[in-house]
Amino acid sequence: MTLPASLLATLPGDHYTDPGIFGLEQSRIFESHWIAAARSADLPTPGVFRTVHIGRESILLVRGRDNGLRAFFNVCRHRGAKLCVAEAGEVRRNLQCLYHAWTYGLDGKLVAAPNLTKMPDIDRVEYGLVGVHLREWLGYAWVCLADEPPSFEDTVMGAATTRLGDPELINRWEMDELAVGRRITYDVKANWKLIVENFMECYHCATIHPELTDVLPEFADGYAAQYYVGHGAEFASEVRGFTIDGSEGFAKLAQLTQDQDRRYYAVTVNPQVFINLVPDHVIFHRMYPMAPDRTIVECDWLYSKEVVAAGKDVTHSVELFHRVNEQDFEACERCQPAMSSRVYARGGVLVPTEHHIAAFHEWVTSRIS
Amino acid sequence: MIPVCAVDDLPVGEAVRVEAEVPIAVFNADGVLYAIDDTCTHQDASLADGWLEGCVVECPLHASCFDLRTGQPTGPPAKKPVRTHEVEVREGVVYVRPSMSAVA
Repeated sequence: MTLPASLLATLPGDHYTDPGIFGLEQSRIFESHWIAAARSADLPTPGVFRTVHIGRESILLVRGRDNGLRAFFNVCRHRGAKLCVAEAGEVRRNLQCLYHAWTYGLDGKLVAAPNLTKMPDIDRVEYGLVGVHLREWLGYAWVCLADEPPSFEDTVMGAATTRLGDPELINRWEMDELAVGRRITYDVKANWKLIVENFMECYHCATIHPELTDVLPEFADGYAAQYYVGHGAEFASEVRGFTIDGSEGFAKLAQLTQDQDRRYYAVTVNPQVFINLVPDHVIFHRMYPMAPDRTIVECDWLYSKEVVAAGKDVTHSVELFHRVNEQDFEACERCQPAMSSRVYARGGVLVPTEHHIAAFHEWVTSRIS
Repeated sequence: MIPVCAVDDLPVGEAVRVEAEVPIAVFNADGVLYAIDDTCTHQDASLADGWLEGCVVECPLHASCFDLRTGQPTGPPAKKPVRTHEVEVREGVVYVRPSMSAVA
């Protein structure tokens, strides 16, 4: 079927429901690309750990005695018990399996096991925890489960450069220096791609985001920040800050210039990160697909350390994007059940202000086919 | 006497396991050398792989603690002591003299 020139096809409906396709996405996308796994500051001291669900794996992040952050498959090398069961915690000395007490150092090396001295042929590195590649950027620990990861510079940093048009621009927000003012976790009953597609377009903004379009009037025209290169959507003239009611926010972050003031920038880092940049804070989304129809979204609101340390009220600031999130996720959840409808078997269509989403579809398709 | 290692190879906070008739662990606790049986009396694990804090070593497996000076358990689950052994440094080399007492 030929589409009118105004329209491009979306992915077929089964791409949002089929367990086989979801499995391919888990292995070839989420277990093969760089994934933002944790805020580095959430692992402040040696022995503090977090477990994160990435693709079909549980990944353990832990800060070592040398203060370095490391990531491992959360699997005991002996008989496969899950090493750390809690989502977050702290160990005093070592990481120890609850089953047979195989004991690993914070560097992953096998330190002790019952009768290990009688098995001198067991190499303590070879039978240590299996490591996962880790990079820190923007204050987050990004991990890649692939044996040979794609270039971090090209894929992750490159996504920010492509959108902002300048590799240095994102550094002006000094995100590794910011502190988490609020974190909200959303359990969204929708396929992860519906959430990405939603974030990439603003055709829906005037309909479901009244508060956001009050602050960013150009969003009512339907062109998302992702439509452009280097474009920040301008605040309405009467708006004082990026807040639920347009009231005053906080001081502009130190390294930003007038060019970035009173503007909103957005970056999508495939496959699971959205970065929203405004003058006084950053909203950072991380997505973790759990099932074809379920995605956990962790959203951090990052402010200057001074704002967080002083205990300033971030409610008005958080409320704007929290409401946007709820509006967006409700829309995604509204779409999910129809993905298996026979009328959506061939998918839907993208209007011109959404045509750039086709590039995301090509990105997904080329990886799973 | 059994030679263990060069004294320079046993820095403060470190331990080394010696394969004697019964394995022995030699510790450098803040500059003082101590030797005890290497094997925890609770379950077979090397105390040389444990955590040294002051004059106490904590077993890496189940956190039993032993006083390096006496060999006495100072923290559960171990109940029986380990033997202590004489340590000597001669011309930059650490030696241990295995204790003749029966294994505890």
